[in-house]
Amino acid sequence: MFSKVLVANRGEIAVRVLQTLQAMGINTVAINADPDADAPHVSLADEAHALGGSSADETYLDGQKIIELALRCGAEAVHPGYGFLAENPGFSRACAEAGLVFIGPSPKTIELLGDKIRSKETAFRAGVTVVPSSPLIVPGDSQAEALLSEIGLPLLVKAAAGGGGRGMRIVERPEDLEQALESASREAVSSFGDGRVFLERYIPAARHVEFQVLADSTGNTVHLLERECSVQRRYQKVIEETPSPALDSDLREAMGASAVAMAKSAGYTNAGTVEFLVDAQTREFYFLEMNARIQVEHPITEETLKLDMVEWQVRIAAGEPLTLSQDDIRSTGHAIECRIYAEDPFSNFAPDTGRLLAWRPPSRMGIRLDSGVAEGLEISAYFDSMLAKLVAWGPDRRSAIGRMSRALESFPVAGVTTNIPFLIRSIAHPNFISGDYDTGFIAKHPELTVAPASTPLSAAAAAIAERFWESNGNTTARRSDDASPDRPGPWRGLPKAIFP
Amino acid sequence: MTTRRLQQLHPPITGAVDPLTQTELEVDISRSGHWEGRVLLDDGRTVPFLAIRDRQQVHVWIGGEYYLFGLAVPARRTRGPGQWASDDIVCPVPGVVISVRVAENDVVEAGQDLVIIESMKTEQIVRSPRHGTVQRVSVQEGDRVDRGMRLVVLHPLTEESGPSAPRDAD
Repeated sequence: MFSKVLVANRGEIAVRVLQTLQAMGINTVAINADPDADAPHVSLADEAHALGGSSADETYLDGQKIIELALRCGAEAVHPGYGFLAENPGFSRACAEAGLVFIGPSPKTIELLGDKIRSKETAFRAGVTVVPSSPLIVPGDSQAEALLSEIGLPLLVKAAAGGGGRGMRIVERPEDLEQALESASREAVSSFGDGRVFLERYIPAARHVEFQVLADSTGNTVHLLERECSVQRRYQKVIEETPSPALDSDLREAMGASAVAMAKSAGYTNAGTVEFLVDAQTREFYFLEMNARIQVEHPITEETLKLDMVEWQVRIAAGEPLTLSQDDIRSTGHAIECRIYAEDPFSNFAPDTGRLLAWRPPSRMGIRLDSGVAEGLEISAYFDSMLAKLVAWGPDRRSAIGRMSRALESFPVAGVTTNIPFLIRSIAHPNFISGDYDTGFIAKHPELTVAPASTPLSAAAAAIAERFWESNGNTTARRSDDASPDRPGPWRGLPKAIFP
Repeated sequence: MTTRRLQQLHPPITGAVDPLTQTELEVDISRSGHWEGRVLLDDGRTVPFLAIRDRQQVHVWIGGEYYLFGLAVPARRTRGPGQWASDDIVCPVPGVVISVRVAENDVVEAGQDLVIIESMKTEQIVRSPRHGTVQRVSVQEGDRVDRGMRLVVLHPLTEESGPSAPRDAD
């Protein structure tokens, strides 16, 4: 087993990985960009090193800087988390060449799965049905029109190196294709450094269901059941649950077998996820892609299977055999994850920044929080807007929903706008409660994203604010705060305060 | 307590402003610029709340929702005819300008892309709210921008020369 591991990430996943490494008795190294100097992952690690710079390019995406640092501080392995360099074959290859173990699949597998076209061919060879799609194109491609008529409308423009909804656009009218190609490609360059895109048939009213797999270096491969991820905004998951309300045991078995076949066909090692679209009416399922990393939503699998996925990643990377057999995989109860984003659900989910004046996670039975932030922390515009993941486990779906609902309502956050009010409404929505929802859930229920005009809560909030201001409203004593140069704060475009 | 000293800044108010109600508060923790307690709602529920003052703003978290209040702005000065002070198209999110899609004197349609901002690794497209002429472009590619910062000045194209309806706040 490794004695020292560098975690090449930030935020909640860096914290999550550091916790497991420390529980395994492994020394830990964290890295940080300048805006993250006070972030929890930095203080948690046994040692932390500033990479110098604020942008992702200068820091969490600078593979060479990270490898040099890992060698300098004597780390034997690198855990990439998700995003950043997690699915960059060049980085995993450079790690191997530097004598570092990359905790994840081989560079060859990452390359294969990162190429959405070749990964589909691999799925096809493994006997898994795939969604019709085009070869890779770039904006301005003369074939684009012909490909559009071949695939049919509506279609999705997707980044070849995609993930997390980045570089993805829906096209409903032919005249919108070129702009979607440009926009998706530009976002893909900024997120993945690769602007190639392709077209894929869009299946409306589909459910997004994925299967977790684990494979060791000798080819032992099991699946760890499914996660239902259909509640999405901007093609990015917001709420996930397991088991999926859409699957019965026959469908679950067929999809699980397909996931294992796909992983084997790709020569997969370590933890990975096979994503499917499920047509809820026909019960047909299509391979979408395989993610060669730990998935954001892995905690719900951990809660229902009572295992530590990161620990398995580390053990497999260290060459240990997978001691789980498919028959050992037994799910208990139900788990739901809500992703807490710094964004305004009532303004088209626009991201928000600022200082977290309050951040008080609830401590309740069956509730887990994977968080990368803390009270007082400045949330910058440099990185992803996901602050934390709230996970509720219950003996059945109803109790998991109830626990989640209570936890969301007892989680004080102030200073930065979050999507918590949206999450509260979503899990209380009749279609969520009945389990009858698909990837169009948010679009079909606009009431989830419109601020209510007036409610008992809004009335009470206004009354509290006035009383608080009055009791506390010594404006002259506080005026100096305004001029204080060390508290510039985010400019919220608000009217200037006027004093009598 | 009948007059409001504060106005709700977030979430944006969509309907009429609530009349202020007499609310039963129980403040458990009170220190400078910070209250924590429970409040009895009009619907009979009792929920926890947290109020924090930061400079001239009051942040209220209450039973899972978050509100931001600032000092109410007195009735604005009147503006002379022909002055179009509300023509600024402002930045909705903090981030970096990755593309400016219009130039000065361009005629734009409602819904046309003006500026593309990248924030938290996501593209935000700022579109024109109306038909008009671009009077000035205040940003260029690569600029760091903040919420509320002016991006584009848009001169409305109208047949008549009357002033636009005044807005409550800029």
